[in-house]
This record gives sequence, structure tokens and C-alpha cells, in this order.
Amino acid sequence: MRNVIRINNLTKTYGKHRGVADVSFNVQEGEIFGFIGPNGAGKSTTIRSMLGFLKFNSGSIEILGKDSVKDHEAILREVGYMPSEALFYPSMTVLETIKYAAAVRGLDCSREASRLIERLKVDPDKRIKELSLGNRKKVSIICAMQHRPKLFIFDEPTSGLDPLMQNTFFELINEYVSLGTTCMLSTHVLSEVRKHCHRAAVMRDGHLIKTDTVENLITSSVKNVKVTISGQHDEYVFKGDINDLVASLAGKHLDNLSVEEPSLEDMFMHFYDGKEEA
Amino acid sequence: MSPIMRQELKLNIKSLLIWSLIVGGLGFVCTLLYSTMDSQVNELADMMSKMGSFSDAFGMSTLSIATLKGYFATEVGVIHGLGSAMFAAFYASCMLSKEEDGHTGEFLYSLPVSRGKVITAKGISIILNLVFFTLICGIFYVVGFAALGEEILWQEMLRFLGSMLLMNLEVAAIAFLLSATTGRNRLGLGLGVALIVYAYDLMGRVVPSLKDYLFIGPFSFANASEIFAGHDVPEYSIPLSIIVTIAAIAGAYLVYTRRDLAG
Repeated sequence: MRNVIRINNLTKTYGKHRGVADVSFNVQEGEIFGFIGPNGAGKSTTIRSMLGFLKFNSGSIEILGKDSVKDHEAILREVGYMPSEALFYPSMTVLETIKYAAAVRGLDCSREASRLIERLKVDPDKRIKELSLGNRKKVSIICAMQHRPKLFIFDEPTSGLDPLMQNTFFELINEYVSLGTTCMLSTHVLSEVRKHCHRAAVMRDGHLIKTDTVENLITSSVKNVKVTISGQHDEYVFKGDINDLVASLAGKHLDNLSVEEPSLEDMFMHFYDGKEEA
Repeated sequence: MSPIMRQELKLNIKSLLIWSLIVGGLGFVCTLLYSTMDSQVNELADMMSKMGSFSDAFGMSTLSIATLKGYFATEVGVIHGLGSAMFAAFYASCMLSKEEDGHTGEFLYSLPVSRGKVITAKGISIILNLVFFTLICGIFYVVGFAALGEEILWQEMLRFLGSMLLMNLEVAAIAFLLSATTGRNRLGLGLGVALIVYAYDLMGRVVPSLKDYLFIGPFSFANASEIFAGHDVPEYSIPLSIIVTIAAIAGAYLVYTRRDLAG
């Protein structure tokens, strides 16, 4: 499968401060790729470097087969980006904003924009300054989707959206992905990654800790063990060969034993606590 | 016209109208006030022309304020010079930085347009705004002359407005460069530039040892009294202004296309 995003050894520093160091990962065509990590992990720095907002120190970024520095404009023609803040020009109406985004692209996206306005239930005549965060997010979604891009890059897309709209949003993503669009989703909401993403990358302290399928990230990392031995209950996270766990319990008087797959949240905390390196 | 340029003109139309109506309107009212001056104006003009450096600084030793030409040059010339320079600085000093300050940069720069094209579109919108500003103010002044039943001094008026526009462009270019840099309070710095170049010109006309260096400041060729008196502009002042303007715009390109955009 073709790599839509190829990031090799990306390093970006802000003076003496760390941004990201030696980050490498690929995103494959047609997948929904989760990009997870705590605040300050380097997710936004990576995304902002991909989009040309930041001039990175070293490494390379290739998007849709094009170099992110040399072919910056050509890449952005094929990308729909939704920033986390979703801020627009306050005095413009929703429709003016959507049309402006299409006009800068040199496209007439009115048909797709109308469909999205209807699906997301946005009032096109309202001024941006009158909108709540959720409604600004909807405008941002429309601006990112109306030109039917080949790649979506979403940064915390669902914050501020009500659960119904979150569902609609993911329905839309899945519709576009079924038509061949690729989606990179930076988020803190792990249930979204578990439910919608095929693969995910975990960032911590400016480094990429792990990239794998969501299923592998959950199953291969750790097990939650709940055990009661001679009336004493204990719960812990086990990592390693399951036979070692069985051997360690052999000969003990077990009242109860439960070995469960960890939730993505457990995995997330496991990586964040620095218990596993790439 | 590019959508970005159209957008800039649309977003700033209110600001343009407010500034041009205030500056042009003040100039218009000030021109009309000439008719209220009584017969003792000649004595007053004579007195004001003999106030040494003060008269030099405000051009009252060059032209008599007893004539409409002199009155317009000394009074409206100052209003327009200072007002237009402040407008140019106000408008240009936020032109690029407002995208980052207002957090709209992530929206704009995620669209397929290079920073260079954004600078060009915004730069042209500044030029157009300054041209519109000058035109609106010019109409006010011409109507003011006509309302008084006086002959309209087209040649001087056009030279006055053209020189002011050139001065505005230089101030705007410097403010535009400031707008391309990182940091805070670029509006304050831009307005400061406008005031400094005005103050420099005033000082240059008061302090004899500075007179030879007047040409450095953009007000040197945009002095209304000198223009309406038909004097030549200081040598090198206009070429230097053009060089400074071009250098500042080039600097804005260099800085803005090479730096990180704030989130």
C-alpha cells in the first residue's frame, strides 16, 4: 500500500527548547491513522511542520509523494486541515468563510459545501463571532472537506462537538475514506482511536514511542492482572510472556484470577509513564 | 484580483472610511475656516512668520497664512501629513501579524497559497488602501477650495497628494516589515515610526545643523509649505525614499518566508 505521509527523522527545536526529535513514521493510503500523546508531546509540532507552518531543523517530510518544503502549495491543494482552535475572521459569515476557503483554492465547492452544511446543521448566515466553539468546529470541518481532499489532517477535531455531531463527523470521515481519502487524526480521545483508527502512533516528550495497529498496541503491550491469593486481592499490569505469569502463580492458592486485555487508556498511561520505549 | 487581496480590502473598508473621513473631513473643515478669518489676518500672518524656528518648522516663514494657499499648506498640510502617516502605520503594522495574533494563520496558511503570495496580496491591498485614502482626502480638499470660491491649484494639489502618498508608502513599508517580524506590540512600534519620522522633520527644520540631513526622512519631500511655495524637494530624498520602501518590502519577504508561524 502506498505511503501518503512519509516522515523521516524529523527534528524541530525552538531555540534551546525541544520540539520533536528524530520522528519517523508513515501513514498509508486509505487508512485512518491516530496520532496520540499528552500535551507538549510534539503532536502539533509534527503537524505544523508537515503543513509548512514551522521550518524544521532536519529530516524530511513527504506528503502524497511530494516534498513538503519544495511542493508546499501543491500538497496543500490535496490536504484538508482542521486546526484545534478553529478560528476564523470574526466579521465574516459562515458562508463567506467557506466560500473564501474555496476561492483561495481556486475551486467552486458550492455543491459539496451545501451538502456538508446540511449534514452538520450549520447556519450559513451567522457571523463567525456569534458561533460557539462547536459551531466553529463545524465550519472548520466544512472548510477541510469541501474540496474532497486526498488527505485529512485533523488536530483535536471533536473537542467542542456534541456526541451527535461527533458521530456525524466520523460518518463523514468514513464516507470520504471509503472513496480513497486518507485521514490523520491527532487526538486525546482514546475511544475515538480505538473505534475509528486502523493504526496509531504514540508521542511522548518529543519522541515517537510506538507505531502499530491499534489492535497490536492494545494486545501486545501489557495485561491487566487481578488476582486474589489466600484472601488477599492484588491488581497489577503485567508485561511479558504469559507463561511467566502462570509460572509465578503456580503452587499458590488462588481464590480468583483474571487476566484482561488492557484498555487503550491503560496502554496510553503505560506509554506515558515511560514504561516502554520504541 | 486574488481572494486574499479582495478579503483584505473588504475587511478594512470600515477602517479606511473612518480614517479618510476624519483626516479629509478635518482638512475640509479647516479649509472652510479660512473664510472666517477676519481682516486682521495679515497682521497675524506677519507675526507668525516672524517666530523664528517655530515658523520654519511649520512652514509659516515660507508661505503667508493670509493666503488660502499658505493657510492650506500650513494647517491642512500638517493634518494630512500626520494623519496619513498614522493611518499608513496603523494599517500596515498589523497586516501580517494579525493572522498570528488572531490565530487565523492556521486557517489561511493551510490553504494552498505560499507566504510570498500572501505578502504580495496584502502588500498590494495596503497600496490600494493608501491610494483610496489619498483620493478621498483629495476630494475633500478640492471641494473645500471650490466651496470657498477659490481657484483650485491643481498642480500644487496633485504634487502635494502624490508626495504624501509616497511618504505614506515608505512609512507603511517600514511598518509592514515590523509586521513580518515576531514579537508583540507591533502596532505601537509602527505608530512610533510615523511619529518619529514626523518629529525628525520638525527638528530638522528647527535645528540648523540638521537641515542638511532632512532628506533622510520621508517628510522632507512631503512638506506642504515647500510644495505650495513651489520649492524643489531636497536632493536624494525621493530616490532614498524609494530605496527604503523597496528594502523594507524585501525585508518583509525575507523575514516572513523564513520564520516559524506562531500557533
